[in-house]
Amino acid sequence: MMKKILLTTTLTVFALTAQADFLGSDHNWNNGSSDPYKTAITAAETDYAAALAASMAWRDTGKMIKEAKKLHKAGKVDVATALAKKAHNQAVNALAQAAVAGSAGPRF
Amino acid sequence: MKKLITAVVSLGLMVGTVSAGTDVDADRKAFVAHFKSIKPNVEFAEYTNGVYAYDAGSRDQFEEILDGIPPYEEAVEKGEAEFEKFGMGNCKEFKDLSTARLNYPYFDDAAGTVVTIEGDIRKCYNEQTGKKMPTMKGKITRISAYISDQAAGGKINVKVESDAAKAAYEKGKSFFYAKRGQFNMSCADCHVYNAGSKARADILSPALGHTTHVPMYRAKWGGLGTLHRRYGGCLKNMRAKPLYAQSVEYRNMEFYHQAMSNGLEITADRYRK
Repeated sequence: MMKKILLTTTLTVFALTAQADFLGSDHNWNNGSSDPYKTAITAAETDYAAALAASMAWRDTGKMIKEAKKLHKAGKVDVATALAKKAHNQAVNALAQAAVAGSAGPRF
Repeated sequence: MKKLITAVVSLGLMVGTVSAGTDVDADRKAFVAHFKSIKPNVEFAEYTNGVYAYDAGSRDQFEEILDGIPPYEEAVEKGEAEFEKFGMGNCKEFKDLSTARLNYPYFDDAAGTVVTIEGDIRKCYNEQTGKKMPTMKGKITRISAYISDQAAGGKINVKVESDAAKAAYEKGKSFFYAKRGQFNMSCADCHVYNAGSKARADILSPALGHTTHVPMYRAKWGGLGTLHRRYGGCLKNMRAKPLYAQSVEYRNMEFYHQAMSNGLEITADRYRK
């Protein structure tokens, strides 16, 4: 019984390690994708939706997400990925502002 | 059931905590004192003229415009005709126009929300005509300007009484001071801390008195616009996404914003650059 458990554990760890090495650093373990564009656009859309819900979204993030999708459709994957990352960065910063907005008050 | 009780108790404690620390009059006094500290020679009553209380050159231009035929005069006259045409006087809120404007914004405890004059104009218009009214320009601004003119000279007196009203006031206050958008700026960064300073060619107007002359005619717009339209413009300038006019956030902020001008007179001189 003990031998079986040890064997199963060893094989599982081996399989996961091999898969991790094979998938490379771009793989997103949250959405199971190795496509950098998909990873970036999903992250941008998720955080932008959260920023919108907090009424703290930035002005151009939505436009950037739309533009990134358009570029990706036109086959300009690298530019689309860079823009999606930029949009994600904006959404992350908007959420950071949202986290402290509730306690804002005068300095005098 | 336990979870529900815990949630209700927590919410009660939160509201209690917020309202326990709310002192509108102390806030207003500190607000007014701040403006006195940056512009010691400007009298409190002068803030009804907004940025024209600060800059003599701009004040001369403003007075010249008022001496002629102000560009909003025709719109306000049209607002009067529309008020009559749409039967707005049938709504209880607008029966006594000498005081109607002074009642807003207020906190409706039954509805649990801040009510603005434009919100009630829309509601009344819908009741009378069965149609919806846009929120930022056009009819709503003309009718609102006409109603406001009838109370010109009356003093702003926003009341923040119940715990729920205090909670809405605090939310509005946080919105006003919270940094947002790509420029990481707050409303207060321009209109409190840097009021009177220049942003490119423009002089930043003081937040004290902002709500005395709304809806305003802006030369930039070439027409009248509501306070919430202006909020949207400011948010865009900060590179933040504007919210919908009459959204709960804007209404809460208007509640705070107007309460800070308590004691100032409503004016019919609604021209701004």
